[in-house]
Amino acid sequence: MARHYIGTTDQFPVGEATLVQVGGRKLGIYRFDDDQFHALLNYCPHQGAELCRGPVTSWLRSPKPGEFQYEKEGEIVRCPWHGWEFDIRSGCMVVDHKVRTLTYDVTVERFDVSVDEGKVYVKI
Amino acid sequence: MTNLGVIDCDIHHNIPDIKAIFPYLPRRYKEQIETWGPLHGGFGHNGGRHGRRFDAFPDGEQAGSNLDFMIKQHFEEYNVKYGILTGEFSSAAMVGDPYYAAALCSAYNDYTIEHWLEKDQRLRGSIVIPYHDIAASVKEIERVGSHPQMVQAYVLGGAAHPYGQRNYHPIYEACLKHGLHFAIHVGAEGASRNATTTGAGYPSYYIEGRAARPQVFMAHMASFVFEGVFELYPELKVIFIEAGVFWIAPYFWRLDQDWKALRPQTPWVEKKPSEYLQTNMYYGSQPLEEVPNKALFDQMLEASFAKDRMLFCSDYPHWDFDSPKLTFPKMEKSLLDNVLYNNAAKLYGLPLQNGTEE
Repeated sequence: MARHYIGTTDQFPVGEATLVQVGGRKLGIYRFDDDQFHALLNYCPHQGAELCRGPVTSWLRSPKPGEFQYEKEGEIVRCPWHGWEFDIRSGCMVVDHKVRTLTYDVTVERFDVSVDEGKVYVKI
Repeated sequence: MTNLGVIDCDIHHNIPDIKAIFPYLPRRYKEQIETWGPLHGGFGHNGGRHGRRFDAFPDGEQAGSNLDFMIKQHFEEYNVKYGILTGEFSSAAMVGDPYYAAALCSAYNDYTIEHWLEKDQRLRGSIVIPYHDIAASVKEIERVGSHPQMVQAYVLGGAAHPYGQRNYHPIYEACLKHGLHFAIHVGAEGASRNATTTGAGYPSYYIEGRAARPQVFMAHMASFVFEGVFELYPELKVIFIEAGVFWIAPYFWRLDQDWKALRPQTPWVEKKPSEYLQTNMYYGSQPLEEVPNKALFDQMLEASFAKDRMLFCSDYPHWDFDSPKLTFPKMEKSLLDNVLYNNAAKLYGLPLQNGTEE
């Protein structure tokens, strides 16, 4: 497993995937509100769509018809084709955890850069 | 995937903007659109983004409206050799004003010819007809039916009456006169003056109407058989697009069984209903049901006569797009070749490739 430099933190906006190509693989890098980073393989295990081109959203639940609750705000990606919902942290499809796409560890180093920004690495 | 490539029988090309059809539209309707908007519709909730794949919008343009983008994203990605264009405009038939409905259909057909068919010889077109008006539909088929790349007249599943009924027959005569097929694509069930979305009425949610599409297609299929359409027009080929696949087999088992008991009520129907399915009807593969296991999938394919009747449809660029690479479980090569290429090549008169039986 090797560590690949993919950019500085400011290059990764919150709320949308940043697509990168690392070691022959296409990944989507997600930065959450808390500055934690997550990486998903840009591939939907259902029919092969580029999963990370889908919208970043929340897990919508309901205690009863007509009422709505939003959980995991910004932590769910919906496939751009059929709308299957995946948890960005785990790569698992929310309604069926057996269906999942690969995830990768992302680390941020803050040495040698300004106090606000860090260097982002992904492990593949 | 097969090395023959793919013939995709359901590609929804689009106009970039309603004004794109203005050059083909009478002044009266241009002014009307500028003042009130296009005023045609017929669709409720959908999936994806405005019903389309999120990744199919070329730089802010309408999904499906850019030929070059479509070729790159779809034809090149999936080795699509030929595509049957089905468009986005059949809702024009739901407009109440019959003159306006006919003008919209004509304008769209003209746009398709000039901006799509004549720009790429891999494309074939569907004639959008204002099908609530039979005479106007016949007129439109007569007007553009001789274009060498037009292959079928095209309507939506949502209708006021099942398509086998007598009032529609002039449309089939016009189709046969021009060597065209008749294609029915799901859509507009319960819209405008059409019959209800399901036999039990109008449901509240998209998923219910979507799953009830087979009900509507069932009604049309039986209507073609029992009104004697295929006795009157044995050469007519009818294509059913986008209501799924695996409900067809048990439905025709029911029709065959009941035909044995009830045959004298419609004695002009000389063969078992499933025999007409095997001679006069085709169905699109999409959206293919996800069958629980491979053994069941194989059985359902066989029971549905997929080897000869199933046509691959992607529904590009709609959100429920089926990938020719990953939609199907593993299939025997000759069967996959037929579904992805040969069945459509024979039906639409496209070049057969080496090793294909005539």
